Amino acid sequence: MPRITRLFIKSGMIYFLAGILLALIAELPDVSTGALLLPVYWHMIVIGWITQVIMGVSIWMFPRKKRGKRKEETFAANAAFWCLNIGLVLRFLAEPFLPFYFNESWIVLVIVLSSFLQIAAIGFYTAEIWPRVRPRPTRKGQPKKAKG
Amino acid sequence: MPEQSVWMIRLSMIYLLIAITIGGVLLIHKSTPLHPGVWALLPVHFELAIWGWLVQFVMGTAYWMFPRHLTGEARGADARGWIVFLLFNAGVLLLVGGHLLATLPILRVLARGSLLISILLFITLMWNRVVTYRDLHD
Repeated sequence: MPRITRLFIKSGMIYFLAGILLALIAELPDVSTGALLLPVYWHMIVIGWITQVIMGVSIWMFPRKKRGKRKEETFAANAAFWCLNIGLVLRFLAEPFLPFYFNESWIVLVIVLSSFLQIAAIGFYTAEIWPRVRPRPTRKGQPKKAKG
Repeated sequence: MPEQSVWMIRLSMIYLLIAITIGGVLLIHKSTPLHPGVWALLPVHFELAIWGWLVQFVMGTAYWMFPRHLTGEARGADARGWIVFLLFNAGVLLLVGGHLLATLPILRVLARGSLLISILLFITLMWNRVVTYRDLHD
């Protein structure tokens, strides 16, 4: 398993744990913050955990552009990981405090940076995976049914 | 990789890009107001992230990777795979349209119906591929 896949899956597991922890906290009447942590919880599970595991495993398992080539780690895969995780951490640190610092320039800056990093991460991931998602080229004389 | 999976996975990545861009706009709007109409995009953000991205990516990958039939067409009827792809994506697009055009609730009914039929067909395609061929080698 390539290093970048291990990073995606391990950081995914940390978000999974943190998300479940937040869900538990939200159920405790004395410490619950109401809906404040709800978007953080949902994004930890859906982006931090599920999406990140899909990204890591697809970078590992999807067919490479050149057969037999060593599983090299590309710039796009690394950029996707770092942009996504820096973006998510900034988001999770800032989002619960938005009602208290609404429209203040520093928090707007953090949120805008986080948004752009997350969008860039998906752009890098798409650039990595798109050329690897293709029908298997049929060899001469090979019947078409045998592809795939 | 079968063509149906290629297009399901590619479209799922496009939906993810759109979903995360809408999510970014919503997040920025939470910190500094952009436009009062921005919140109308929230259900589109959910639907694209869950149906367009997660569900479709998993379906496309399963259709590609699950054990193939030993006789006949490797992944079942090819045309049925295309119908699954077309109905599923029609459903996703109708869902988006239904959320953006709230005056036309029929769009969301059609969307859920389209998704339901495509998933039913997907299950009929996949049911017999949830197998092991290990016994044949023993």
